[in-house]
Amino acid sequence: MRGTAGRMIRLCLKELRETLRDRRTVMTLILMPILVYPILSMTLNRFLLGSALSVDADQPESIIGVATDEEAEVMRTLLSQEGSKPPAAVIAASDGPPAIFAVLGPKEWAQYGVPRVDPTKSLEDKWFDVFVEVKLEAPPRIRILALRGDVTSQATQRTLVDRLNYLNQSFVASELASARIAPPAQIQLDVERVGIEQSSSLLASIIPLVLVLMTITGAVYPAIDLTAGERERGTMEALIASPVSRGAVLFAKYIAVVTVALFTAIANLAAMFVTLWASGLMERLMGTDGSFPWLQFVQIFLLLILFSGFFSAVLLTLTSFARSFKEAQAYLIPLMLLSLAPGVLSLMPGIELTSLLAVIPLLNIILLSREILAGSVSSGTMVVVIITTIAYAAAALSIAAKLFGSDAVLRTSEQSIGASLRRPAATRPVPSWSEVATTLALIVPVYFVLSTFLARMAPQSEDVSAITWALVGNGVALVIIFGGLPTFAAWFCRDQFYETFRLRRPSILSSAGAILIGLGMWTWAHEVFLFAQWLGIRGLDAQRIAKVTEAAERLRLVSPWLVLTVFAVAPAVIEEWCFRGYLFSALRARTTAAVTIAATAILFGLFHVVTGNVLLVERFLPTTLLGLALGWVAWHSGSIWPGVLLHLSHNGLLNLVIYYKERLVGWGIGVQENAHLPLAWLAAGCVLVFAGAAGVYAGRSRSEA
Amino acid sequence: MRVLQIDSRLGWFEFLMLIAHALTKWFLVPTGRFCAVDHLSFTVRPGEVYGLMGPNGAGKTTSMRMLLGLLDADEGYAEVGGFRTDVAPREVKSRLGFVSASDGVYPWLTVREMVLYFADLYDVAPDIAQQRLEEFARLLEISPLLDRRAGTLSTGQRQRVTLVRGLIHDPPAMLLDEPTRGLDVVGSQTIFRYLSHLREVGKAVIVCTHRLDEAERVCDRFGLLHRGRLLHEGTLHDLQQQTGREHLVDMFVDLLRSANGTGTGSLESQEVQP
Repeated sequence: MRGTAGRMIRLCLKELRETLRDRRTVMTLILMPILVYPILSMTLNRFLLGSALSVDADQPESIIGVATDEEAEVMRTLLSQEGSKPPAAVIAASDGPPAIFAVLGPKEWAQYGVPRVDPTKSLEDKWFDVFVEVKLEAPPRIRILALRGDVTSQATQRTLVDRLNYLNQSFVASELASARIAPPAQIQLDVERVGIEQSSSLLASIIPLVLVLMTITGAVYPAIDLTAGERERGTMEALIASPVSRGAVLFAKYIAVVTVALFTAIANLAAMFVTLWASGLMERLMGTDGSFPWLQFVQIFLLLILFSGFFSAVLLTLTSFARSFKEAQAYLIPLMLLSLAPGVLSLMPGIELTSLLAVIPLLNIILLSREILAGSVSSGTMVVVIITTIAYAAAALSIAAKLFGSDAVLRTSEQSIGASLRRPAATRPVPSWSEVATTLALIVPVYFVLSTFLARMAPQSEDVSAITWALVGNGVALVIIFGGLPTFAAWFCRDQFYETFRLRRPSILSSAGAILIGLGMWTWAHEVFLFAQWLGIRGLDAQRIAKVTEAAERLRLVSPWLVLTVFAVAPAVIEEWCFRGYLFSALRARTTAAVTIAATAILFGLFHVVTGNVLLVERFLPTTLLGLALGWVAWHSGSIWPGVLLHLSHNGLLNLVIYYKERLVGWGIGVQENAHLPLAWLAAGCVLVFAGAAGVYAGRSRSEA
Repeated sequence: MRVLQIDSRLGWFEFLMLIAHALTKWFLVPTGRFCAVDHLSFTVRPGEVYGLMGPNGAGKTTSMRMLLGLLDADEGYAEVGGFRTDVAPREVKSRLGFVSASDGVYPWLTVREMVLYFADLYDVAPDIAQQRLEEFARLLEISPLLDRRAGTLSTGQRQRVTLVRGLIHDPPAMLLDEPTRGLDVVGSQTIFRYLSHLREVGKAVIVCTHRLDEAERVCDRFGLLHRGRLLHEGTLHDLQQQTGREHLVDMFVDLLRSANGTGTGSLESQEVQP
């Protein structure tokens, strides 16, 4: 095992060495950021200088709000003085004429219909660009309020400060000119930002776009060079003639591409931040104080890892098709244009990271980065974005491994690209890695979108037909996602259903044992649930818990048969079909039983955590425990059917208890939701589980165990 | 498995390293499909150099690729050391060394790094790989080149590096596809010295080449391939008796004349079956 890991590391190192020694990689890696950002910042600086003088060409006046008419008069007097005009050199350097200020006091408020609200509110409602408070002393003391994160407001504030500073300087100049020794009068200036952070800060919108561009810049060349380049150099045949799996070779290339993409991204990110920070633009763009924004730097870097991991996989899929550099470049141009679209889209303020957009590749990462930078991200959505992105990357990589060095790529004859993605001609016993990765990449987003949709459609009233339809909808969604998708994949790839879904007949002993485990298991699950809560793993607040309880109460309005069908029979059959059938057989053919059981149980647990937009983290431990039991039973019995029985008896018992809770309490058998079970119950549960386990073990299948 | 067979001349059981069983490959072309290799069968013993000869487009490279498992055969299969290409492709690949004229190098790696990379692909322990590299480098006189970047090598030097690369996992069988293409006289001589060395150390070798004069000297047996079919097979003596010609060159000319009267056997002239 250690030898294999060592070999994998050496394979990765070779790819990295090859790429990093290449002059062209080094050019994009180092020279680009060093040259591009200073030039970019100079342009930007000039642009901002211009915009600071004339805040907006279409709207020549910057509006200053003041509370009293006396203050308005003072402001007008100050701004009308010749000394407050920018020096000639500054006007010459800017593109437009200097900004004009309109001061609105209470007299004018009525004229424009400005309501009498506090200064912060009036700024948030965009009545004024800045609000000014003038203390009528000699010299006057002025306090300028600007809206936090609002570009126009802050630009106006800076311009106003500049103007008043010019005025101060002109005072000094005139005082000195008349040779008076006493210190000249100075206006006192205080600058303050008010209101809540506005989400559309300029940097939060631009960073995602730059992020796309710089990662692409770094990843494109190595991706082409390490795949299509192999063929062009004539090393492909020798590589494919070796007994190492294409997946391993491609994975090493993937690691190299991701590494180079990350290096490029770090170099670009550092160059960008340092340039912006050193030139003082950072303050103007982000509205931070003068210190280096470490937090944003780290946040963006973490996003970059996710982004480059995803993008490199997609790049490799495309370049693995290609037979030459030219061909690869032709494939990549549409991809680049396509990936710019979400970046541009994210600049629009109206687009938000909804549950549907959270599963759209690329757009989800860019919107996530915008929300993280704006500080308005929800953890549930973030987890969904990360999980779906990883699933997409895995699927892309498995397709790439299939294409890399395939018949179509290796041969000189014209072979259509689609040939590698067609239905295979021969049947095979169990699903392949690439098939499983692709199926999971389909299941994750479909599951997320459907479950969010169903959660939103959940009936809030006690209308029986609405509840019935919601339940039916749940059942159908389950059948489509965990039943339909794996079945379709198995049919499409010509997997043998009997082996893939492990349909062999189990022994009576193992079936009976599985039912016993199912009847006793809930006591364990309950205790694990309490343990998870004790650890502080909690996804629901009191309000949500109340909602869930309410929803459970409502279920009593419909027939117990419907409840049992949707929450016991359907999950028992369909979830086992997917997890202990499809996934189990694919994993079992390639790894040990322990790894198979653990991996399917963790996946099973994870799918139960994400329900709609809410993360039910406390469900992870109990469901994973149940998944482990189901996996163990599936392994020993060699079939999915005992697992179906276990799942059915477990879910059936729980749902009946919830359904008939009041009647049970009436009989004196009540269970406090957040209390430990009585010892006698726990003991009974243990006896059932162990007796069942003994049964399963005694009736185990010879071929498996 | 037909790994052991009775040798008709020796009357003795012998071990067969390489066996092709009715290998057949069809390619799709815009006008239909044509048969690139048509039920090709032959065997190679350890320590034997088998010359697979034929004009351009005869199906030599396609046959090699099927032996290597780079292409799936439409019919038939190959066996290497008792393992079938369609059943145990990895076992087959690990028992084959492969050298082709179109073999490239990784320009940014040193010769040593590149050869050791291939050793890793074949799962050779690093210390053993290092030892073999030094040994083969001495044999093919590339010891001074080991730490140079592969991109700076001349064609001849590059070819010698690929010969070392093909041997690094010490395979019992070697496939050489046009190893002398693009080489000068000295370069070609190195290749034929290398072939003699392979025979001495008991490797089963298949070589495709257009250097018919050299092939006559170095190959133990020949298969004459034309339009995917094996027309003649045997030692030089057998072929001389079969064709009534002294040299391979003459046999080739006869072959092409009788086959299509024009003397060209290119891919385009292949008959196409819709």
